[in-house]
Amino acid sequence: MILSRLAGRPVLLAAGLITVLALPWLIYPPVAMDVLCWALFAVALDVLLGFTGLLSFGHAAFWGTAAYAAGLLAIHYSLPFPLAVLGAALAAAVLAVPIGFLSVRRTGIYFAMVTLAFAQMVYFLANQWSGLTGGENGLQGIPRELFGLDLSDPFFFYYYGLPLVLVGLWAAWRIVRSPFGRVLTAIRDNPARARALGYPVDRYKLLAFVLSAGLSGLAGGLYAISHGFASLQEVNWTTSGKVVIMVVLGGIGTLWGPGLGSLIMVQLNDFLSTAGFDGIDLVTGGVLILIVLLFRRGMWGTVVDLLARRAARRAEARAKAKAPAAEEPVPSGSA
Amino acid sequence: MRRRVLTAVAIAAALTTTVAACGGGPGGGGGKITDDKIVLGVLNDQSGVYSELSGKNSVTAVEMAVEDFKAKYGDDAITKNIEVVTADHQNKPDVANTKAQELYDRQKADVILDVPTSSAALAVAGQAAAKKKLHINVTAATTELTGAKCNKYTFHWAYDTYMLANGTGTSVTEAGAKDWYIVYPDYAFGQDMQKSFTEAIQKTGGQVITADPTPFPNDDFSTFLLKAPTLSPTPSVIGTMHAGGDLVNLVKQYNEFGLREKGVDLSVGLMFITDIHSLGVEAFAGTTFTDAWYWNADADNRAWADRFQAKTGTRPSFAHAGNYSAALQYLEAAQRAGTDNADDVVKALEGFAFNDVFAANGQVRAEDHRMIHDSYLAKVKSPDQVTEDWDYEEIVETIPAAEAFRPAAESGCQF
Repeated sequence: MILSRLAGRPVLLAAGLITVLALPWLIYPPVAMDVLCWALFAVALDVLLGFTGLLSFGHAAFWGTAAYAAGLLAIHYSLPFPLAVLGAALAAAVLAVPIGFLSVRRTGIYFAMVTLAFAQMVYFLANQWSGLTGGENGLQGIPRELFGLDLSDPFFFYYYGLPLVLVGLWAAWRIVRSPFGRVLTAIRDNPARARALGYPVDRYKLLAFVLSAGLSGLAGGLYAISHGFASLQEVNWTTSGKVVIMVVLGGIGTLWGPGLGSLIMVQLNDFLSTAGFDGIDLVTGGVLILIVLLFRRGMWGTVVDLLARRAARRAEARAKAKAPAAEEPVPSGSA
Repeated sequence: MRRRVLTAVAIAAALTTTVAACGGGPGGGGGKITDDKIVLGVLNDQSGVYSELSGKNSVTAVEMAVEDFKAKYGDDAITKNIEVVTADHQNKPDVANTKAQELYDRQKADVILDVPTSSAALAVAGQAAAKKKLHINVTAATTELTGAKCNKYTFHWAYDTYMLANGTGTSVTEAGAKDWYIVYPDYAFGQDMQKSFTEAIQKTGGQVITADPTPFPNDDFSTFLLKAPTLSPTPSVIGTMHAGGDLVNLVKQYNEFGLREKGVDLSVGLMFITDIHSLGVEAFAGTTFTDAWYWNADADNRAWADRFQAKTGTRPSFAHAGNYSAALQYLEAAQRAGTDNADDVVKALEGFAFNDVFAANGQVRAEDHRMIHDSYLAKVKSPDQVTEDWDYEEIVETIPAAEAFRPAAESGCQF
């Protein structure tokens, strides 16, 4: 079981990497870039939702703030785009400190509502401060700058942006797998016990919130650079909702599942907008209902679950088979 | 182990092929017509709040333009191979941005038409400049398209905030309503409209007693409406810059408070005939607004509207007619240029003066790519004046093209 897990991981990792590298060959490159950004955003939210047990309904605030920040940095300081995106991620993380500080004292629906309220404030600011953000016209004409390279082709830009996303995904994985991440899971499952063990629960939650916001910012900043503008859509509450749906689709607490969720959502949306069918929201809503009813753990979660169950059954069968014939040699490293 | 690998690969493959299609090759060169066809792309809202006033019926209008173009030129047409393609941007600028690239690159669109929602319109204009293909905007209101954010490949066809505010502000003030109370939604569109309105009113010798921003979106306008009769002097007219659901609420409450009976008229900044249709003519009766085109204004318009109705089952809004005109004039320009090469078509459009069913005394200004045409001050009929479905407007005044739009010198556009 453990052996096979160890062997399975590099394979899965390689398959994931190949998928990510091949994406712009398979789907329209600008759409592939969208998938990438949303995937990182969804994974970042999952760090909070799946591993800390906090449902933020205001993550658009961080994605959107970062989008504007990246745009402003690129327009006014002509920073190379990776720096603008990193700056944007920092801006989102900084914004998350006061918001998180006030929100993490609550859990469940209250936490969701408080984060939503803060996100609406950010929306209001972005709408009102039109001198800075362009109001509902959006912040247009964000340049893509990297040492004078030509980044206009979305196909190549995908590969320029990819390292940033991979760094973000790696960071999310590290956060979840670290001792810090274990404490988060403990807090999710039993906050009272975690507190009894001496962990400052609120501080852990705050840090998770800030890290999640920072990663969301990384995604949002790159999204703005990739599109060449940032608009009110980015800070709208529907964006918060969309990313939650992606996480649910892919599987809460599976880390990579939300990436899968974003691929499906973005592709579905892209396909439907040229399919000549009016009820786009009807279809996406229907898909969500189906997934929730049929795959309670999300798509990724269900697959992982099935594989794990099958492996367990087989291990059990093997154990049973082995019992009467103990002298048989152990089969080497297979599952 | 092997099975696990296979499973992983299968999953990876399944993930990536959900909707797969590889990038097309480079565009065919040589001929006068690239790819041996002209492709008109219509990018608009087909499922959301603007789907009624434009939406899929604008695609039909564009197809009518293609029909008429083919009928007019027959065998002399620059090409008989004219396609209309479309996408739904759902009023989301990011979707619009991606779809615009897809329309230009993959569907080989030579021009993208329509594009409501200013942020989406500006994004598409940016793509047009980057891809060196045309964008003729019909339903976005922002003057930025022909102002600071203008570019060589973008044209603005039907209307804009300046034209609406200037038309209504000037005409209504000239007609004797000197004292205005303006309520506007507190975001960029509303602020722009308020500014343009105030300028137009003051230029014509009227005054704005006060202008109040309202939250957006907003359901309850009673504070603002009840304030109107208490102002000194009592305003002769309330100018509202609201649109969509907010406008509906405001108009309902305006009627409930009986302000018209108290001598306070209502002027609306932006209104489509579809708004009147959905709320009912009695709610809007007596309201004045600037219209870019009205289907029942003359026999030509009516004939076209009949054709349109035969295909769509509804009467056209000015956006539908505007899309027809934009498509037709694009094709005419390509015909004159003898090619669909973007730079040549832009040259053929610049400065071109024309008349078609939408544009009376139309001209494409070379300085800022604003298409100017006669506009109309319209008054909503009272229910007893309405003789048939969609017969809602009475054209009070024609505003000449030269006066209707922002002067080119003030646009701040530099190509």
